[in-house]
Amino acid sequence: VPFNAIPAADFLNRENELNYLKGLSALKEKALGGDVFLVGARGMGKTELLKQLYRSLFWEDKVVPFYYSFKTANLKGAYFAKDYFTGFVRQYISCAKKDPSVADNVAEPLQRLMPAISSLGLYWLIDCIEDFQEQVNKNDIYWQMVAAISAPVVAAQKSGTPVSVMLDDFDAASSLYETSLGDAHGLISLFEESMRNNVFSDHSLMGRTEQMRLGPLPEDLAAQLFRSHLANLKITCPPGVKLDFLDILRGNPLYIRNIAKAAAKMQKQDLTEKDLIECYSFEVSAGEIAFYWSSVFSRYVPNPTKRKAMIKFLMHSVENGSIADGNRLSMISGLGEAETETMLGSVETSGMLRDKDAVLQDFIRCLYLQEIEGREANDAMAMIAAKYLSEREKSSFELVIPMSSNAELVVAKAVEQIGININLDAEFLKHLQLALIEICINAIEHSGSYEKKVFLKFITRPDKLEIVIENSGKPFSSDSLKEIPVEEKLRMGIKRGWGFKLVYSIMDSVKVERVNDRTRVILTKEIKDNEVLK
Amino acid sequence: MKSVPFSVVSRLEGDAAVIYPKGYLNNLSGESLVVECGLYIGQGITKIVVNFSDTDLINSIGISMLLQIIEDLKNIKGTICCTNMSKFLRDTFEMLGLIQHMRVFPVESDALKYLNAGKV
Repeated sequence: VPFNAIPAADFLNRENELNYLKGLSALKEKALGGDVFLVGARGMGKTELLKQLYRSLFWEDKVVPFYYSFKTANLKGAYFAKDYFTGFVRQYISCAKKDPSVADNVAEPLQRLMPAISSLGLYWLIDCIEDFQEQVNKNDIYWQMVAAISAPVVAAQKSGTPVSVMLDDFDAASSLYETSLGDAHGLISLFEESMRNNVFSDHSLMGRTEQMRLGPLPEDLAAQLFRSHLANLKITCPPGVKLDFLDILRGNPLYIRNIAKAAAKMQKQDLTEKDLIECYSFEVSAGEIAFYWSSVFSRYVPNPTKRKAMIKFLMHSVENGSIADGNRLSMISGLGEAETETMLGSVETSGMLRDKDAVLQDFIRCLYLQEIEGREANDAMAMIAAKYLSEREKSSFELVIPMSSNAELVVAKAVEQIGININLDAEFLKHLQLALIEICINAIEHSGSYEKKVFLKFITRPDKLEIVIENSGKPFSSDSLKEIPVEEKLRMGIKRGWGFKLVYSIMDSVKVERVNDRTRVILTKEIKDNEVLK
Repeated sequence: MKSVPFSVVSRLEGDAAVIYPKGYLNNLSGESLVVECGLYIGQGITKIVVNFSDTDLINSIGISMLLQIIEDLKNIKGTICCTNMSKFLRDTFEMLGLIQHMRVFPVESDALKYLNAGKV
């Protein structure tokens, strides 16, 4: 339904794209414009741009707009042809009469529109309908599709008014079939033929079509859009409330809109930062964002038996920041290598891991909790809320050091300053420095890394300090983790091997992980009152 | 944390050598500490006082060097006294069970008095 677009005033930062698309038919007349292939991440506003364009063209008389979404289309040839054709006829009459209800009334048979068509003098459209009906009567699916797809071309030729065809979720057109799924891979090429000949330009879709990329909204406009949605939903958000948390949405208009809607569903008033986190947590666990991603997920993993394996696999990828090698993936998914390979292909196609989308990652965490661990949506929501509420109080620092002599002292100096920033006791800091020095010199001395770098991340919270140290190269040998008493060291002449004993004694938790070719050590220290300067 | 390059100075006080390591005690600096002590041991000195007042940071390699000195002195029935240690250093040695193999004094003069009194 192309008319359910958001108010034009709320459609931010797309003026250039919209104006360009509006002027496309004029450019085409001067041989300066062609077909446009709109690309952008999910939720970035491609559909909304088309709807805005549709609405804009509809009320002007220069171009007749036609919008068709493949997302909800029945892709069986005969059904599709009828749906596409009747959709076009309705929208054409709707535009001619400047009456949106004609396009929206999908239940009304075309026969009932005949008087309206006659009164508009669109006799060629009656011919067009009769031609299409003739193909239906002959049960010729191929020619039905040709007639349907060519209808906008015929309309433009007969009326002399250009038709702008907007095909949403066009990738789904590759799944068009005649009688059973996958029996006619080439049907999408009918569009290409039509475009090449008349509809858009003389360019073929696959070859010289112009690409228009929709990027994210900048930070300030994202906040403006969110406030505007809230205002439309009659929710107040005091000007002093920082909307920093919105950064996680990375300027994605779909996410922004859904969070605002969640605020309405949760009956929030005078929205605070905490409310924002709660709305977000609801959205990724049980709201529209969860539903959206769940639909995408189901589209690519329709087989329920593989669903759990896929969730485990996605979760692994989220937790580790990358995809493990084939053997490990099989272990994680619990499937054979061939099946795992197929699944990996599905993930790639779905694009679910292509961009490091924090929202999608939180959805995967929630999905895992619910479908693998058998917990309730409320638990998932609470988990996400707790994560971000505690993160608000944290700050983090990152540091990369070369594997060179005394580089560990740079780390010691850094942790000293970080400790001073959060008022840690000097004596306590010395111990932290020692623990870090030990991990760094272990990496420098024993990893054999070609990269010759150690990556560190310090995350501070009022009650906890977490340090993540990562480097490529060899994993730790179990010997380095073995504790040998000093008497035995003296007796056996072993002088080295104190490092991990020191680290384990100083830190509350030491976690050593192997992630692909990297060793990751996570040190955690709970900060007690006596370790903080008053 | 003081950013001073490591150095070792020493002096002879009666029949005891007093060593002053300064800065970050790691592998290289630990080596020079071992060499410095070795020079005295080579001269027949069996009493060594290590004054840690200027050692603010140490690592496990530095500790292993210290263990080397403990072992060298043990072989000649000598004594090592550690003085002026920060709480951090003392805690660290304690953590590793090293403290039982050395005499610890708050200040250098206490160690020298102890050694002069012949209570070795």
